[in-house]
Amino acid sequence: MSGKIYISRDGLAAAMEKLSRTMDVWTPAASAKDKWGVEFALYEPGVKPILDRQSTLSPKKTIFPQVEPLFQFERTKDPEDPSKTLIRLKDRPDAKPAIIFGAHPCDARGFFTFDKVFMEGPYKDPIYKDKREKTVIASVVCRECDDACFCSAVGGGPAEKEGSDIWITPVEDGYVLEAITPKGEPILEGLGAAATSQQEAAAAKVQEEAAQQVIAGGMKMTGETAEFMKHFEDKAFWQSAIAGCISCGVCTFVCPTCYCFTITDEARDTEGDRLRSWDSCMFYHYTLEASGHNPRPNNTDRYRNRLGHKFAYFPEKYDGMIACTGCGRCIRNCPASINIWKIAQSLKEQADACM
Amino acid sequence: MTTTDIEQLHKLMEDALPELEALIGWQPGYDALHAAPAIARTPEEASRLVFNPFCIHNLARTVAKTPPPPAKEGEAPKKIGVCVKGCDSRSIIALIQEGFLKREQLYIIGIPCKGTIDLRRLMKLAGEDLRAGVKSARIEGDSLVVEGAKGSRSFPLEKVLARRCMRCKYPNPVIYDVMAGDPVIPRASEEEAHKDVDAVENLPVAERLAFWQGELDRCIRCYACRNACPLCMCQDRCIAETRDPKWLPQYMGLSEKFIFHFIHAMHLAGRCTECGECERVCPQEIPVTLIKEKLNRITKELLDYEAGVSTEAVPPFLTFNPEELGI
Amino acid sequence: MSTLDSAPDAGQKIIRIVGFLCNWCSYGGADTAGVCRFKQPTDLRIIRIPCTGRMDPLFAARALIKGADGVLVSGCHPRDCHYAVGNFYARRRLELLKHFLPFMGFDERRFRYTWVSASEGQIWQKVVTEFSEQIHQLGPNPGVEKQPRTCDA
Repeated sequence: MSGKIYISRDGLAAAMEKLSRTMDVWTPAASAKDKWGVEFALYEPGVKPILDRQSTLSPKKTIFPQVEPLFQFERTKDPEDPSKTLIRLKDRPDAKPAIIFGAHPCDARGFFTFDKVFMEGPYKDPIYKDKREKTVIASVVCRECDDACFCSAVGGGPAEKEGSDIWITPVEDGYVLEAITPKGEPILEGLGAAATSQQEAAAAKVQEEAAQQVIAGGMKMTGETAEFMKHFEDKAFWQSAIAGCISCGVCTFVCPTCYCFTITDEARDTEGDRLRSWDSCMFYHYTLEASGHNPRPNNTDRYRNRLGHKFAYFPEKYDGMIACTGCGRCIRNCPASINIWKIAQSLKEQADACM
Repeated sequence: MTTTDIEQLHKLMEDALPELEALIGWQPGYDALHAAPAIARTPEEASRLVFNPFCIHNLARTVAKTPPPPAKEGEAPKKIGVCVKGCDSRSIIALIQEGFLKREQLYIIGIPCKGTIDLRRLMKLAGEDLRAGVKSARIEGDSLVVEGAKGSRSFPLEKVLARRCMRCKYPNPVIYDVMAGDPVIPRASEEEAHKDVDAVENLPVAERLAFWQGELDRCIRCYACRNACPLCMCQDRCIAETRDPKWLPQYMGLSEKFIFHFIHAMHLAGRCTECGECERVCPQEIPVTLIKEKLNRITKELLDYEAGVSTEAVPPFLTFNPEELGI
Repeated sequence: MSTLDSAPDAGQKIIRIVGFLCNWCSYGGADTAGVCRFKQPTDLRIIRIPCTGRMDPLFAARALIKGADGVLVSGCHPRDCHYAVGNFYARRRLELLKHFLPFMGFDERRFRYTWVSASEGQIWQKVVTEFSEQIHQLGPNPGVEKQPRTCDA
């Protein structure tokens, strides 16, 4: 018994329905009627999963939502001493178990960046940890690489299992599911019939074909710290590289690894929430200091930081790990069609030329 | 654009470049279905500039954000060159009207435009075929012809053009120093231009609210619509983001999203030239321009004003007329 | 039954109308109405602004989005503006908003702008009474939120 199961295309909804009784089921679906975009949504009857196309926003929001209250607070007068104000805090409830059903391999790998920052210290984040540990990631073998993808150049790949708990392989008329971590095993129990040997063979063939896709011309990339630092002061380079950058937050919001956040207290009268919400290094207010000084006043400074963080500072700090999974979302969705991969490459090429 | 037109465009660029500080145009993007804004300073860089139906970016935004070069002592400051489609040229007029650009500092190369492609519409039609390996794409007559990995495919223009182009009244630049190519005939009549606004207005009020709740709910407040807008001049000091005054909390409720879009829309009333950039850049496919189209229509009806057609006109909400007894 | 005499029933949502009144005319007009003891409905919460020229249409839009049941703006009569031209600017902006609100799904009857001078206590009484009755007929503004929120900052 291989432990692989088969779910037919028509049976997918029933399987999700079954899962949704005990956990939150996030699945990619059309963002709205007649729209092209795909977005991760909580499964409910009527939601039609779309497993063969990348979502506009990465599934990071399932574990790290765009805005979440860290706690609620309420101020009251101390009845003993009215000159004193008491603050009562209300903790948030524990996270529900969840499954991301239909991530892509690049999406699943995105959480590695989060894990480094939020779980490995020096500051461990209990809210992230709680959700991360209770979330199972089921990824689809990717057969949809396009010219914006460069996953295999940054350590991933269309059939790269690392980061996923369950492996979904689309075969004719259905999907073969396979648990690849102990966390994924209990999910598959009783979810579908055992896969036949023909189905398993078909799945193996699909995986093999997916793995053979040539992405980003077969280039490989490592932490580019030295190259990056060499061009750090080259203003002309950065200006010409990002001529059309409008300093919006699209690239960071769609990104599966951008984890920067801001914390604000939103209060009215005596009660309020402490919120954590996505921030974007492309925004002016991201680095605005209380004095009014802004160390990154324009888009070139900000873009340089985004690229530098992903390909130089982060690898330097975290054992060479690049904070980018090559999913290509920021390239596809950029209003000015800025290509982070090409810029990272040209840094290297120019450095080679200098030598 | 035909080959001869492209040659003509490059010739115009070559002639102009020595007198210019920089030339703003479009360069090829990451595949044949994308282009990207570019700033050319050398003849070599200028030779890489292109014009095709994927030159969807409004370069007025880029030119407004490119600081004028410091004038050398004893010399007149060099001009900035910019390539414009019809819609871009109207944004430039609006920027000149409000004093953000100076006409004498610009060298404008006008390009008559047959329309730009809405990639999402194209992908909806073409699906998997055009995902990867597209070699080239061009407009032929009333079709878009794409040479893909699986051979050539043709799509009727009215099915793949951006909504803004379907309702475009000004495909030919309104302001220019030189024109590359022959003028094209506008695609839409006055009535057709407003049919999307009409569709919303034909709903009862409660359903209109439901419509906008559905659309705006997808907003992620990435502010791409605002930042892409050539006329959104507050930018880093937008009241949607400032802490003092604080108009918007960090919550992602519908009321925050409504307020943000009201801010953007009201600040563009009587100024917006309907270039459609806000709608194009929205990663969530919200029809943001529709809001401004309605405001423009009100402005036209009440005050008989259209933005971005005359550098002399004063935007109607920056002035008044005591004699307006009707309102 | 006139809305003037009715106290809100228990459990019934209290109607809240936000009034933006210019310091020089309408605020004085409301004061005059008070001094003369003209009976007025109590649903209006007045915010004093220096001039209707200061009236950003977004103030009214934001109030309605946040769930105010009505917004009433009042200033000096055209040509009587304390600052000469403030209300000429306001007139265009407010008229624009009035036409725009229904497009976004807000009932235009929830928004009104008018001109009342400092001596027109009785006219003020009439304006407030009429507008309040209209809002009572419309009932509470559903607002734009679909779900209630823990805290509304």
